[in-house]
Amino acid sequence: MNGQPPIISIGADGVDAKAVVDEILARVAEKRAQGEYDDETVARAERNNLFSMKDDEEFLDRYLACLRQVVPVDINDFPIAERRSLFAPLSKAVKKVLWKLLKFYTYRLWSQQNQTNGVLLAAVETMHRRHKEEVAALKARIAALEAK
Amino acid sequence: MKVAVVSPRLHEPGTVGGAETLLHSLALDAAALGHEVELLCTCAKDHRTWANELPPGAFERDGLAVRRFPVDPRDTDVWARAQIALQNGEEVSDAEAVAWLENSVNSRALVERLRDGGYDRVLAGPYLFGLTWNVARAVPEKTLLVPCFHDEPYSHVGPLLDAFRRVRGFLFNTDPERDLAHRLMPGLAPRVEAVVAMGLEPFEVSKTAFAERTGLCAPYVVYSGRREEGKGTPVLVDFVDAFRRRTGRDLHLVMTGSGDVQVPASLAPAFHDLGFVSEREKREAMAGAVAFVHPSLNESLSIVLLESWLARTPALVHAKSPVLRSQCERANGGLWFRSYPEFEEETLFLLENPAAAAALAERGRAWTVETYAPAAVRARLSAALSA
Repeated sequence: MNGQPPIISIGADGVDAKAVVDEILARVAEKRAQGEYDDETVARAERNNLFSMKDDEEFLDRYLACLRQVVPVDINDFPIAERRSLFAPLSKAVKKVLWKLLKFYTYRLWSQQNQTNGVLLAAVETMHRRHKEEVAALKARIAALEAK
Repeated sequence: MKVAVVSPRLHEPGTVGGAETLLHSLALDAAALGHEVELLCTCAKDHRTWANELPPGAFERDGLAVRRFPVDPRDTDVWARAQIALQNGEEVSDAEAVAWLENSVNSRALVERLRDGGYDRVLAGPYLFGLTWNVARAVPEKTLLVPCFHDEPYSHVGPLLDAFRRVRGFLFNTDPERDLAHRLMPGLAPRVEAVVAMGLEPFEVSKTAFAERTGLCAPYVVYSGRREEGKGTPVLVDFVDAFRRRTGRDLHLVMTGSGDVQVPASLAPAFHDLGFVSEREKREAMAGAVAFVHPSLNESLSIVLLESWLARTPALVHAKSPVLRSQCERANGGLWFRSYPEFEEETLFLLENPAAAAALAERGRAWTVETYAPAAVRARLSAALSA
């Protein structure tokens, strides 16, 4: 979405807060469907806000979407840098050795944790999907019975 | 008419919460209406310890007669046990709730003064303190409660609501707060039920003064008030940080008020914590902002939101706060968000549509001037006092 112009353009005289919000909600829904908010930055931004949505119908969907973004623990290598110029080569070398030692110790641990996280998330998502399907089927059945 | 206004702490600009400010303002309004007003408060300064830090006695402040009374001894362990249980949403028995209230802030001397002082009306609040509960029980026929209700576990405490059902009336801040009171106390039919709120004098403030003084030329959003989880400030920090990362826009975050804020390293260069500032500085910070953001869910009246409109700045509020959202809708002065994507789109809208943003701000200002003009508030207060 970077640099995109807004689709909403309302003249100052005709500004209507509710209309603006409604239009923005529609735009967000469209972008959400396109997966534009499926990134870790959004998931992390929502971490403190999720509590406020706990009573909403779509809470679990949003919560699981955020969880999906943040559930894998990053165990990959990363560039090791040193901002201080004094002893920079030495400091970098020490950090690299430390990381190798840590990686040797933690890689197996975190890769197993990632497997566990993934399995648990898949289980919760499956349960949630089945639950939603069951509720939808029951609602349809009740509606059909009431219509008789 | 002789009127007592009971506030747990004396209003000191910049050091107390909104409820004390509101009660102080109502006391001034009642005095301006020609009533004989006494402001009764405790010797406490700190709402966490309720220690008697100030001397008891009578004196005058802002033209008001003030009487200060010592806080009663309290068992903080008993209070804390119930407080934690309530916070965690656990079931609390009536006996535990009463113990919670009895070991909250109380002052027998203050309540005795209410019985013997010859008052015709007693204004007391906010709802969640033992002192307010005891005032409501001591002189229910004279009490006009200024509850500042929020939909939170404390507002569901049975013994508190039982006492409130018997008071003369309620002075609410907004219609959503009144609706909440009726949900909390079904069948409530007090003699007086008024939405009074607080009078605000319109002011003019420069839109460029803050940037000129601080050198902050980048666009920024501003928040004023207590910085804590309950006020939603961690959400605002997360949202602005994400906005900068995702949009690449150099949006800054300015905060005034008290409390710690945890800011990620990525936001640190764009975060400006001004702490306590003068009213003029606060208004200048509001006036120069793209938006005043209020991420709190629990508000009965947001004075800073109204001030931001008076400073001609549009608002962005959390949609899950019935009061903030209702104020934005009625004023047509701001937008509301439930989640980060909505915040992102709305902030972009305000950044890219300055004419619409200015129009929202003007609508907000016009509504605030009309609804919260001191004369309008005094007329509502006068009717409530004489009913």
